[in-house]
Amino acid sequence: MEELRRPGGELASRPLHFFWIVDCSGSMYGEKIGTVNNAIQTCIPEMASAAENNPNAQLLIRTLSFSTGATWLTSNPVPVEDYAWEDLDANGVTDLGKAFELLAAQLSIPPMPARALPPVLVLLSDGQPTDNYKKGLEELKKMPWFRKAVKIAVSIGQDADDDVLIEFTGNRELVLQANNAAALTKMIKWASTTASMVSAPASRPMDSPVSAPADDPFAAPNGAPLVLDMSKIPDPGDIGAGDVW
Amino acid sequence: MEGQLKKGTLLTSECGNKYEIVSLLGAGGQGEVYDVKCKDSHYALKWYFKGSATAGQKEILETIVSKGSPDPCFLWPMEMIVPAQGNVFGYIMELRPKNYKSIVDLMKRKAEPSFYALCRTAFNLACGYKKLHDWGAVYHDISFGNLFFDPSNGDVLICDNDNVSFDKNKTGGVLGTPGFMAPEIVRREARPSRNTDQYSLSVLLFYLFMVNHPLEGRLEAQIKCMDMAAREKLYGTDPVFIFDPVNKTNRPVKGIHDNASIYWPIYPEKLRQMFTKAFTTGLTDPKKRITELEWMTIFANMMSGMMQCPKCGARIFYDEDLAAKGAGHLCWNCSNSIAVPTKLVVGKNMVLLNQNTRIMHHHIYGDYDMNTVVGKVVQNPNNPNLWGIRNEDTVNWTYEKADGTQIPVAPGRTAGIVKGVKIHFPNGIGMFE
Repeated sequence: MEELRRPGGELASRPLHFFWIVDCSGSMYGEKIGTVNNAIQTCIPEMASAAENNPNAQLLIRTLSFSTGATWLTSNPVPVEDYAWEDLDANGVTDLGKAFELLAAQLSIPPMPARALPPVLVLLSDGQPTDNYKKGLEELKKMPWFRKAVKIAVSIGQDADDDVLIEFTGNRELVLQANNAAALTKMIKWASTTASMVSAPASRPMDSPVSAPADDPFAAPNGAPLVLDMSKIPDPGDIGAGDVW
Repeated sequence: MEGQLKKGTLLTSECGNKYEIVSLLGAGGQGEVYDVKCKDSHYALKWYFKGSATAGQKEILETIVSKGSPDPCFLWPMEMIVPAQGNVFGYIMELRPKNYKSIVDLMKRKAEPSFYALCRTAFNLACGYKKLHDWGAVYHDISFGNLFFDPSNGDVLICDNDNVSFDKNKTGGVLGTPGFMAPEIVRREARPSRNTDQYSLSVLLFYLFMVNHPLEGRLEAQIKCMDMAAREKLYGTDPVFIFDPVNKTNRPVKGIHDNASIYWPIYPEKLRQMFTKAFTTGLTDPKKRITELEWMTIFANMMSGMMQCPKCGARIFYDEDLAAKGAGHLCWNCSNSIAVPTKLVVGKNMVLLNQNTRIMHHHIYGDYDMNTVVGKVVQNPNNPNLWGIRNEDTVNWTYEKADGTQIPVAPGRTAGIVKGVKIHFPNGIGMFE
């Protein structure tokens, strides 16, 4: 007689919402947006394969583009294995404030679930906001899921407003500099790997060699891509009893 | 995928073997793993990232390579590759055969071992870590990612042995993986030791059998954001076992932790008691954690104590505590009442005699050898109603009838299974019950 399959289902997991927030203003036209399109598209299968080896998370992806106004590319979060990158075009101004508004609407509960892994927000920008971004950012900062999110910004080229990006990430070290196509590709790739770091923390090194200074991510030529040690990301109030909510 | 080493690069090992880079197989936190070729044979090369290629790591590896593998179930570093220039290095090991699957596959139900194969996997894992601990070594990082198993038979492969340490004062290595680290390490009060390995092993085994983390119940469900702070609390500062008989605040939550509730009643009471000890006493008292040998004993018994529901085919575990209370066994799937077959009891070991049951060396000699078959349940060719145990051992057994008459059972001969008779094995007496 055939043996009956063991009962039960898969290991319980939590959703991990990953957001690409991409500046599509006119200044991104040409090489910059081309590099972004290519780099993110290349990352998706690698993110999917990392997610496949992770029993703790369901990785969901969404993209928000902003230029004159802001738009979600998909209305709902898409499981990484089904996600297909749609090439973005660049023209218009830099309505970052509008992007923050749309993001805030998606980070409230609902549509965000009550139980999840920290969301990952990756903001790519090459210029100055042309609208009033402060209001949207203040709104975001009030939201628990924004505060708990891993926020990374990629500052593209010389004209990006790093102060704005630092306001967004809350951490200078997580504003990654990308002054050429190769750096941009590398930064996007690294940002994409944070999803697996958030959901399945790797072995913790014994004498945690502090990762290379983040403002000089290429300090080690041919070396490791930076390992983001999540425990090193400053958490407001550090780790106190009241910090678990 | 592109790695640090280009295809075709030739690397010479410390013993003078030349390895050619074939392809990048994967990357982890510490480095990359490549498929490499040496004299037409393929091997795996782990190549460290610069930040991880520390002098401490190198020293640990040199010790590991010189000690050699404790058991074939380890994918052990065979030799090192240390280029003359640039403080980088790596080591060579065997490639993992394709029939081995990850524990993640088990958690995602992409690998479906039988209960028997699951018990054998658990037995082999405990046995592997025991061999390491017998050497005075510490593994450091028992977790999902660094061991593999064959779902068809429960063979195991323990990988990532480059953190194994033989000296607790040596720096380098890893503390462990969140969720698997002992609470005292999470709280930064202790460093990895044999006792913290034993905690991680308990977590791993709980995952294997329950497809749930032992500390993830209501308290986990109440946490909205599972970040580092939450993990510290759940696994370090406020750990509560989901089936703690006294503190019932962390029971599995319906709809989230269903696996734990489904599996817990299926297993024998002894296993429940061991998990309870591991995650109550064992949470706070590292010296009272379950040892590998205790795990091996229970898994050997579970492997020998299986029944099958004749109605639906579900595998049922014999539960001696249930039997001692005079209660019967019910099928967990269809609630059918299960008749317990005749048992062969040899000292502390017990084997349920089903059709095709194999008697292992351990059952008779008590030596934890669950690979060598020494006997087999067979049907009498002249009378299909009669069953016996065929001696597949290398020595004679003696069959003692109820009236005291003794008959030798040479290898290849069969002793009939009749309640009340005894078999004298070299190391003890077996009784049919």
